[in-house]
Amino acid sequence: MSSTSIPSKFDVAVVGAGPAGSATAYLLAKKGFKVLLVERGRGLGDKQLFGGRVYAQPLREVWPELDKEAPIQRWVTRERVSLVSGDKALTLEFKGGERKSFTALLPQLVAWMQRKAEQAGAIFATEATVDEIMFKDGKAVGIRSGNDVVYADVTVDAEGVNRLLLERAGIVPRLSPDHIALGVKEVLRTGSSQLEAAFGIGSDEGVAWVVVGDVTRGVPGGGFIYTNKDTVSIGVVIHLKHAINAIESGQLNNHVYELVEGFRLHPYFRNLWHGATISEYGGHLTIEGGLSFAPKRLVYPGLLVVGDAAGLLLSTGINYRGVDYAVYSGKLAAEAIEYAASHGGLTYDNLLEYERKVKDSFMYRDLVRHRAVEMLMNDPTMFSKLAEVFIGLFSQMFEQDYSVPTPYEAFTGALTEHNMSLNKLMSYMITAVRGL
Amino acid sequence: MSATVQATNKQSPEPKPMKLEDILQSDVWNVDEEPHIVVDYSKCEKCPTKPCIYLCPAGCYTLAGNRVVFSYEGCVECGTCRVICPMDAITWNYPKSGHGIMYRFT
Amino acid sequence: MRIVVGMKWVPGTQSVRIDPKTGTLIREGVPSIVNPHDLPAVELALRLRDKYGGEVIALSMSPPPAIKGLEYLIGMGVDRAILLTDRVYAGADTLATSYALANAIRKIDAEIGKVDLAVFGQETTDSSTAHIPAQTASWLNWPYVYYVRDAWLTEDGKLRVERILENAIEEWELDMPAIISIAMKSIKPRPVSLLNKIRFKTNPSTLITWTNSYMNLDVRCVGLKGSPTFVAKTVDVPEVPRKKIVYKPKDGEDAARWILKSLLSDEKASRALLKALRGSSGGEGS
Ligand SMILES: Cc1cc2nc3c(=O)[nH]c(=O)nc-3n(C[C@H](O)[C@H](O)[C@H](O)COP(=O)(O)OP(=O)(O)OC[C@H]3O[C@@H](n4cnc5c(N)ncnc54)[C@H](O)[C@@H]3O)c2cc1C
Ligand code: SF4
Ligand code: SF4
Repeated sequence: MSSTSIPSKFDVAVVGAGPAGSATAYLLAKKGFKVLLVERGRGLGDKQLFGGRVYAQPLREVWPELDKEAPIQRWVTRERVSLVSGDKALTLEFKGGERKSFTALLPQLVAWMQRKAEQAGAIFATEATVDEIMFKDGKAVGIRSGNDVVYADVTVDAEGVNRLLLERAGIVPRLSPDHIALGVKEVLRTGSSQLEAAFGIGSDEGVAWVVVGDVTRGVPGGGFIYTNKDTVSIGVVIHLKHAINAIESGQLNNHVYELVEGFRLHPYFRNLWHGATISEYGGHLTIEGGLSFAPKRLVYPGLLVVGDAAGLLLSTGINYRGVDYAVYSGKLAAEAIEYAASHGGLTYDNLLEYERKVKDSFMYRDLVRHRAVEMLMNDPTMFSKLAEVFIGLFSQMFEQDYSVPTPYEAFTGALTEHNMSLNKLMSYMITAVRGL
Repeated sequence: MSATVQATNKQSPEPKPMKLEDILQSDVWNVDEEPHIVVDYSKCEKCPTKPCIYLCPAGCYTLAGNRVVFSYEGCVECGTCRVICPMDAITWNYPKSGHGIMYRFT
Repeated sequence: MRIVVGMKWVPGTQSVRIDPKTGTLIREGVPSIVNPHDLPAVELALRLRDKYGGEVIALSMSPPPAIKGLEYLIGMGVDRAILLTDRVYAGADTLATSYALANAIRKIDAEIGKVDLAVFGQETTDSSTAHIPAQTASWLNWPYVYYVRDAWLTEDGKLRVERILENAIEEWELDMPAIISIAMKSIKPRPVSLLNKIRFKTNPSTLITWTNSYMNLDVRCVGLKGSPTFVAKTVDVPEVPRKKIVYKPKDGEDAARWILKSLLSDEKASRALLKALRGSSGGEGS
């Protein structure tokens, strides 16, 4: 065996073949760059877990064939938001129509992206965990996996939220519970006809459903429901900082899987998946408070950071945009590398184009605008309180034996019942509205 | 490869809670022979709240009496324990050579 | 040395479901893996190559998805891999499989170069017959030793192997070409290496596919037709969930007390215990 015949020098080495890394590798390989895409998982997409809905337009900019080719489960036609308090629930529904977002199973969607990258000419190495980004004189020069070193003019870090490599390089501090939430998810197989009947949708429709209130036993976070073709994705997301506090105070003394289970068995929701079987269970970390999670820079000499690793994820409590942000940041990174190569080389100054592009993008603008909402999400009482008050309001209005309260009576009744001053409620609302 | 949420028996429409170990039966791993996570139990003894017991989604941390026992086989590689451990007791890495959890649907 | 190492692509979990009607495995939805007992065999083959030079060729008779498994072995450092695949090979029992493998080894010998050694895992996790290496050795008429955990060459060019038995360790000397199978878990396999994965992806000649139009085997001897064994009946034994309890006893007596207490608190266990006690005291003696 002659090891000299193995290529060990690439134009670009991309670490992590999630949505961000796969998009970067795909676009660069298509432009003729010699690209290595490294993924620690074995099967395609087999380390991937998310909630369930992807916004399509940013992905179409990378893969215009998306609508026709991608493994799309259902286009989302109905948005539902439920506030839950005890067994009571208040649900809002919005019926849209256009193909704005779709539900997906992330291992399948990412497998599709990975295949695209490989077909475009990227060398896709699976089953290889990168242990270190190699630096020489302050510049990233490649990657090390076990005893193997591969050199690259540019390394793209797309390792996701659990940024071991950036930590080892001293670029970001150790992951702390402050900006991190844990998502725990189940995929329930019900069959498509039962699913459509239970959710009241047609065969060409899909539901994205956000649940706030005490599905997470008072720990800030929330629940989600997404309809796939013949399965339903359900899960809860809890903020780790608050979860730790709740454990310390004795408020949370259940195992986290019991939160998902409580949600699955919740009397308001359980008939949606009556008799289903659990096809899969899992957990994954996610970012709360994108910009405060971002590394100081997105460009270092020889190194670009994309996707979750770069803190590019928007979570407003209602909207969740991670996959499309990851893909879009990969697109901007690929464009910046191309720009640098055609402007005299892959120098640090030229690569800074990536940071400029991110700052000019809808992602960055939205992350700045939604900072207020993040602060709101960080207030442990906000969601459960709001849910209680609104449900209190509706139960005053509808749950009556004889006398019908006026809306004002119902409102003030609900406020006093839940120990909430009008001032406090207003301040919540104002923060929320400012964020929106 | 699936766990039933509830008996389809029409007589008992009340769905029943399940054990985490049964729910985990729906997952597939290719378990490495060597653990990718190592816990320094001497630090656990001094850990006041032991949040890993509650927050590891795969239930890899269990209590035997008041001692913590860790088993890596069912780990879903989320990284939660690494983030929440207040004692810095965990040496955390990804499994080698593509081992570990293999998600198909999530 | 030229070493051939066998690989079987097996379902990736312990809980393989068996179709009660046809007696065959249901593989739907369960990703497959390299038979774990093959990995020590691969490791030993690689160590021999690293020490004495030559090449290691992985060989598998499987449908094309097994390429993933061969890719894994190439990732570990195997030089190239041969996939024997053809519709007529489907449904083979160990006899038909070993017939095809033996002929493939002959073919490697004739077309690629002299084969000195074939190495197999002790058995497979999905059928556990342990027939394949022995049957392959019979077809080839090569010497065969099993439960091997180490091997090296002697000065006069013979193969020396160390065999691990329950209560003994033996050394054997074999003329080559020979076949050995490696004791389960006796050698720790190396991890996949990034450069070897890149080699697999950039060098198409690392993977060779042989179909029957190339192998030219008598179709009556391969696949279902060449398989005299059939599964008469399978009994699905449900997995018993076991609970791990760690108890730290003060002393021997405390330990005995605790075990007795735990056993007696379980109705089934206490009945079995009583029965056993009665039996040993010479009561009924069943
Ligand atoms: C519970 C939950 C719900 C979510 N819901 C949604 C949703 O509904 N919609 C949405 O758009 N987003 C959602 N997200 C967010 C979304 O999943 C992420 O934003 C997105 O996956 C980020 O993509 P990425 O490519 O940056 O990182 P990842 O998808 O995390 O990919 C990183 C890849 O790198 C690999 N890797 C890591 N380290 C190494 C290494 N050292 N060597 C080799 N490989 C390595 C990993 O195996 C992985 O494949 C959710 C996330 C969670 C946790
Ligand atoms: S949180 Fe850390 S120190 Fe505490 S019990 Fe768990 S592993 Fe041990
Ligand atoms: S990484 Fe996640 S699943 Fe694995 S042990 Fe830690 S908390 Fe549990």
